Amino acid sequence: MFPLYWLVTMSFKPQAEWNPTGRTIWFPENPTLDNYRNILGLTSQNTQFFQASSTDASQPIIHSLIAAGGGTLLALLVGVFAAYGIARFRAGGRLLPFQILQLRMFPPVAIIIPLLIMLAYLKLFDTYWGLWLVYAAVTFPFVVWLMRSFFQELPREIGEAAIVDGCTQWSAFFKAILPNVKGGLAATALFVFILNWSDFLIALVLTTEKTVTAPVFLNSLQSAGAGQEYGPQAALGLILVLPPALLGLSIQRYLVRGLTFGAIKR
Amino acid sequence: MTTPAGSETGQAPARRLSGLSALGGRSEGRIARLLITPGQLLLLFLVGFPAGVAVYIGFTAYSGTSSYQWFDAWKEWLWFDNYWEALSSSGFWAAIWRTVIVTGLAVGVEFTLGFVLAFLFLKQFRGRSLLTVFFLLPMMIVPAVAGFIFYMLFQTQGPVNAALTAVFHDVLHLTGPIHVPWLSDPGIAIYSVIAADIWQWTPLMFLIFLSGLVALPEDQMNQARILGAGFWHQLRYLVLPMMKPIILIALIIRSIEVFKIFDSAWLLTRGGPGDATTTISVYLYRQINDNYRYGYASAAAIIVLILVSVAAMQAIRPIEAAQEETLEELVGAEALIHEQFVDDALAAGARAHG
Repeated sequence: MFPLYWLVTMSFKPQAEWNPTGRTIWFPENPTLDNYRNILGLTSQNTQFFQASSTDASQPIIHSLIAAGGGTLLALLVGVFAAYGIARFRAGGRLLPFQILQLRMFPPVAIIIPLLIMLAYLKLFDTYWGLWLVYAAVTFPFVVWLMRSFFQELPREIGEAAIVDGCTQWSAFFKAILPNVKGGLAATALFVFILNWSDFLIALVLTTEKTVTAPVFLNSLQSAGAGQEYGPQAALGLILVLPPALLGLSIQRYLVRGLTFGAIKR
Repeated sequence: MTTPAGSETGQAPARRLSGLSALGGRSEGRIARLLITPGQLLLLFLVGFPAGVAVYIGFTAYSGTSSYQWFDAWKEWLWFDNYWEALSSSGFWAAIWRTVIVTGLAVGVEFTLGFVLAFLFLKQFRGRSLLTVFFLLPMMIVPAVAGFIFYMLFQTQGPVNAALTAVFHDVLHLTGPIHVPWLSDPGIAIYSVIAADIWQWTPLMFLIFLSGLVALPEDQMNQARILGAGFWHQLRYLVLPMMKPIILIALIIRSIEVFKIFDSAWLLTRGGPGDATTTISVYLYRQINDNYRYGYASAAAIIVLILVSVAAMQAIRPIEAAQEETLEELVGAEALIHEQFVDDALAAGARAHG
């Protein structure tokens, strides 16, 4: 827990207590909210910081929300149907799910060059659509594997009963099947959102300015050279950590299942 | 759970049966295809096509500063030059080797710690559930932020050295504070990267093993205990064999993830000092970002993909086997349900007519 403690306390420390020579500040002596004001862009120009605007992360945070949210929606839209097709109709044969899983084994940095070239060519570099498409493709395997495991837990008769009652396959899916996996769907959505929100490498390569996400901004603060911005960085770090921590705790039942591609159910 | 509406009324058996036959009809294949087509298109567009581009670019000298479009890269066709360069480059192999070491050490420690912790948590004690929640937290942290946290901790003037000084200063009769150069010494920096990964991902191992241990059949364990099996005996002949699939899955999944390590390593050391912590992902990123050598980086990435694929083919089998078991159970259950359902329908139909 200590690393987290350090992040939290650092975010409330004034500049003089960040990393002073010769002593260690275990607890903030003069706690301040300045770091948060700086990171959220709420400061006026005449603060102790020379370049107050350079630590303003409000835009990157918004970019992160939009990019992760859109990517999650797209992945769900495509992945839920595929998962249903695979679970219920064995679409694509028995091997398809494993081929999809295999995609996860490749280091993303290995496919990032052609993606960079392609998105630049399609004028999607540094745009939301570029991020959405890539995020959706990267998290698609998780959606398929998680939703497949939820669909498989559902008794087959539920869909069949609806069809017997005169539903088409489509309306049976929406009226009978989907409401029964609501919990699983929500857990999958949150899980995928966390994955997208946590992304660093993809946004690092595929954005430069207009859609820079918060983790990339955190990185640029670190390499800014003009002294280390520990305090504002810690504040931004905490803001970045909170949503996944809260969401993660709310779906902790499904967390292990998600991270093991549904291989382990609790 | 919804009950099949209309099953009590027994009306319109003909429609029911036709509905059932429609389930197995031709329409099923069409719907199945329809369902997975969007997914296949997405993967084609963002995995299949880029893979083709990567192979093409990998044969050329295309770079981020080239003045032509990527499809004109044939103008600087190199055949396998990029591949030979990567295969004979000491930097490339050093990066792979480093990644293997990081993976082995990190996964090894995570496995051991996670297993021991899971064992300790089997017994009920005060505050157990609260502690479990605390264990969840590191996993939820954005990896880039985790890198930054350890960057702060491992500063020469940082809290880790301060804590070491506080503990060991008097014991070892030191004259000054301890200043371990965690991030700036080429020999030590890699262990800092490993430490950050261990901190973040031991909890996952712990949770996986805890769920596995809890699911062990209590009867057999008790029996063994009554028969006088000692702790090590139980572990060796009961727990480990029964946990084998779970252990395999946990090891494989973590190995895959650590092999891809980038985010935390980049924020911690940026691959440095020198290239002391340049894992394969960092190596490829540096080729793209510092040198703009898209052609060379593509070729190197393809070599990595081939290496990973070979490993993945070995790795996927246990997962497949574990999945297969549940799949077969399911198929059996489905058949049973189906039979009963059809029998019911037929019986209802007979009653309605009779």
